[in-house]
Amino acid sequence: MTEDFNNYSEPMLEMFMFETNQSMEQLEEILLNIESNSKITDDDINEIFRIMHTIKGSSSMMMFGNISKLTHSLEDLFYFIRENKVYSLDLTKLSDLVFSTIDFISLEISKIEKGEEPDGDEGSLTSQIKDYLNSLKEDNPTGEIILSEDENQHENFISKEGITENSIKYIAKIFFQEDCKMENMRAFTLLRDMEEYISDVSHIPEDLFDDNDASEKIAKEGFSISFVSEENYEKVFSLLKDGMFVELVELEEIEIEDYKLSDSEIKEDDLEEDASSGIKKNVNNSFSLNKNKNIISVNVEKMDMLMDLVGEIVITESMVTKNPELKNLELESFNKAARQLRKLNNELQDIVMSIRMIQIGPTFHKMHRIVRDMNKQLGKNTKLEISGEETEVDKNIIDTLGEPLMHLIRNSLDHGIESKEERIAKGKDERGLISLDAINTGGDVVISIQDDGKGLDRNKIIEKASKNNLLTKSPEDMSDKEVFSLIFLPGFSTKENITEYSGRGVGMDVVKRSIEKVGGNIQIESEMDEGTTISIKIPLTLAIIDGMKISVGESIFTVPTTTIKESFKARKEDLIKDASDNEMIMIRGDAYPVVRLHDVFNLKSETEDIMEGILVMVETEETSYCLFADEILGEQQVVVKPIPGYLRQYKVKDSGVAGCAILGNADISLILDISGIANEYI
Amino acid sequence: MAKNNIEKVEIQEEDTQKGRFLTFKLGDEVFSLEIKYVTEIVGIQPITKIPEVPDYVKGIINLRGKIIPVVDVRIKFKKEPIAYDERTCIIVVDIEDMSVGLIVDNVSEVVTIKEENIAPPPSYKTGFQNRYIKGIGKSKDGVKLLLDCNKLLTDEEKQEISDIEI
Amino acid sequence: MKKVLIVDDAAFMRHTIKAMLEKNGFEIVGEAENGTIGVERYRELSPDIVTMDITMPEKDGIEALKDIRKIDSNAKVLMVSAMGQEKLVKNSIIAGAKGFIVKPFKEDKLVEALSKL
Repeated sequence: MTEDFNNYSEPMLEMFMFETNQSMEQLEEILLNIESNSKITDDDINEIFRIMHTIKGSSSMMMFGNISKLTHSLEDLFYFIRENKVYSLDLTKLSDLVFSTIDFISLEISKIEKGEEPDGDEGSLTSQIKDYLNSLKEDNPTGEIILSEDENQHENFISKEGITENSIKYIAKIFFQEDCKMENMRAFTLLRDMEEYISDVSHIPEDLFDDNDASEKIAKEGFSISFVSEENYEKVFSLLKDGMFVELVELEEIEIEDYKLSDSEIKEDDLEEDASSGIKKNVNNSFSLNKNKNIISVNVEKMDMLMDLVGEIVITESMVTKNPELKNLELESFNKAARQLRKLNNELQDIVMSIRMIQIGPTFHKMHRIVRDMNKQLGKNTKLEISGEETEVDKNIIDTLGEPLMHLIRNSLDHGIESKEERIAKGKDERGLISLDAINTGGDVVISIQDDGKGLDRNKIIEKASKNNLLTKSPEDMSDKEVFSLIFLPGFSTKENITEYSGRGVGMDVVKRSIEKVGGNIQIESEMDEGTTISIKIPLTLAIIDGMKISVGESIFTVPTTTIKESFKARKEDLIKDASDNEMIMIRGDAYPVVRLHDVFNLKSETEDIMEGILVMVETEETSYCLFADEILGEQQVVVKPIPGYLRQYKVKDSGVAGCAILGNADISLILDISGIANEYI
Repeated sequence: MAKNNIEKVEIQEEDTQKGRFLTFKLGDEVFSLEIKYVTEIVGIQPITKIPEVPDYVKGIINLRGKIIPVVDVRIKFKKEPIAYDERTCIIVVDIEDMSVGLIVDNVSEVVTIKEENIAPPPSYKTGFQNRYIKGIGKSKDGVKLLLDCNKLLTDEEKQEISDIEI
Repeated sequence: MKKVLIVDDAAFMRHTIKAMLEKNGFEIVGEAENGTIGVERYRELSPDIVTMDITMPEKDGIEALKDIRKIDSNAKVLMVSAMGQEKLVKNSIIAGAKGFIVKPFKEDKLVEALSKL
């Protein structure tokens, strides 16, 4: 980034990048639509022109010359197409050029985002665009090239005639500031400004509009005018000097008889006024992503800070309302106020969390481009259907989902969907189908990628896993789900499997890790020749949950309140053992397994006798059981933090810990993974 | 209760941090880490235990709302563990988005060691810690063992069995 | 402080111009993203100066300029154009724009242009 550019600041740069990225997305949608309809409409052309024009302008302001030049050439191309109503277009060529432009710009923007120099060379792409434009010009000879929309109204601009006895003849030479641009127009403006004071004007260069070199001439040699005016020298001088970007004025009075500017004729400026200028009326852009509604963009860091702050308010609220100093006091008015505080905090949490929620639609839509590109390269004609776009997901999660989703879709297309011939032979539709869906199930968001391809071959997977020494169980004991999960193991993908698209360093194991990083999990279901469905389940970021603190020895654990059904002290007569000698408890006629937390976490406790501790009945989707702990300490809202990355290489997550909770006194309490414990210990 | 001595180490441009190392002691031995990985140094504080981790992972701490796992470097290097006192420090390092606190006896200083004064690690692998040593640095006050932060953090238990030479 | 209305369909440009002008003692009283809204805002706010992008959807700069001049024949409008738009600049001048500035421009140029209005 140039440092001598005194114009821009960080916020401007961010806004530029944000807007440009949005425009690129919009452009891509338009192009994909054009391709799938095999047709380009006037609205499309207008919109593409407009986007190119806007980016040309903003990128030039930001001094990103390569982007500016590239968009300028595309702008010229689409301007030509529009103005000359060129309808026979090679859509393939056109869309390739635009897609290449999108890619170039997106790449440069990402360089800028990383703090690198946007040093891409747009030269060859620009040449291609120019060549295409030239070929269009040849095919569409424009004897009447419409370069603007002049209509046939003439208006004499400077029309005062008549020299009176008070008239003074002047000759002036004006130089404009060095980089004021469009010197010819500056000159024109000046003439317009002087209009009411001068007459009998002639000037050099004579032709300000059709002479392409006029500006250059004016820049080099100045703008010379001769005219007649009733005003005195000082007045005329100051009128000229006041012109916009006027640098230097040389003014001389002359005798009328001597008045002669040059050998050419004195021309009156013959100007045409346009009835309607500018671009055609606006396009009803049904693809516009979110533009100009009542929306502001907020820096993500600020959002994170806000979330952290809300988390701390929750903790502090607990420290106040659950303060041990208040124990046993009768505080009716205080309690009322505390409840109100709690209510307000809950609302605050809800709103802050909803601010971070973004619809998943745009992330899904990006996949269209991937499918399109892959279809081209692989000679397939797969369709991508998207549903559940309005499903909202936390921004953090959306950011991490992009890459895994792309990889999974590439995978489906590459390895899942069969070739046209194969599909026809199998009696399937020759077009493959990939369905991308998102749905909110209350506590989680489930994203599924389903293809109707050839499905996973259980035996092949077992064979490969065995070859790479990844089998920990005998294959006969493994369910289909377990077998399919093998492909997520690092080391599963060998070289033969890696094609250009689906496996260069972005293996399925990386996909799984990314998803687990945000606390989610991924599963595969598949049927031979029918297809494969990959489900990604991600918990809605419940950064703050209601938890019940329980103590086990010296440790304090937190049980999510939503999982707790009831708690009670056991009675000796209710305790039984099952056939494998596992402890169980009878409650209202049903037997529930008992899980001793001391054993789960290898903790020492004085409370060995079930009768002395407390049983907490918890339930998951699949089952209910009872946790045995020493004491229940009370309910508290806690801020949930994920298990630190470093610990993922050990089996902490499998051990029954779902996350960490920071308590009111800043201590850490481990949050129990109720389903995890059920899976391991029951 | 140990005081919380928080020293924020400035994160500078990587270039100016080249060759700068933070030294700390385990008993008589002096080790150092490249300062570019160090984000913070704090005094020892309450540690919450975590199940199913190796003995050198002592647990997790709460550092201003961020949960940081802590590793006792003595135990990791198979040395005799000692009781923590007010001089014990936790060096928080950050590698590839992972933060870990290293519990050490105490922290000494930051030194600059030029490339030419760094020799490759000894070829004999005696001493458990040598697997983590990236080089040997000579500075005016003696020889320092330069630790490989990456190895320290991403080493897996099961590899160790094959690597240990007796 | 001179009151300025910024009319431009690119949020980036509105933001940039606003930043530049506020630094130099101008007061931005309003923004509009197309000509139609621009004319409305002019009616509501009666700014001293208007910066007007030449090409915009809905209603372009020149049309908006004409409408504004019908409201106030002394309206001071500065057209913001890009290179290659000479005909449009010409038409704006004819339609009564007080001046124009060409993108890309630096802050000092913008400020100078406005001071001349």
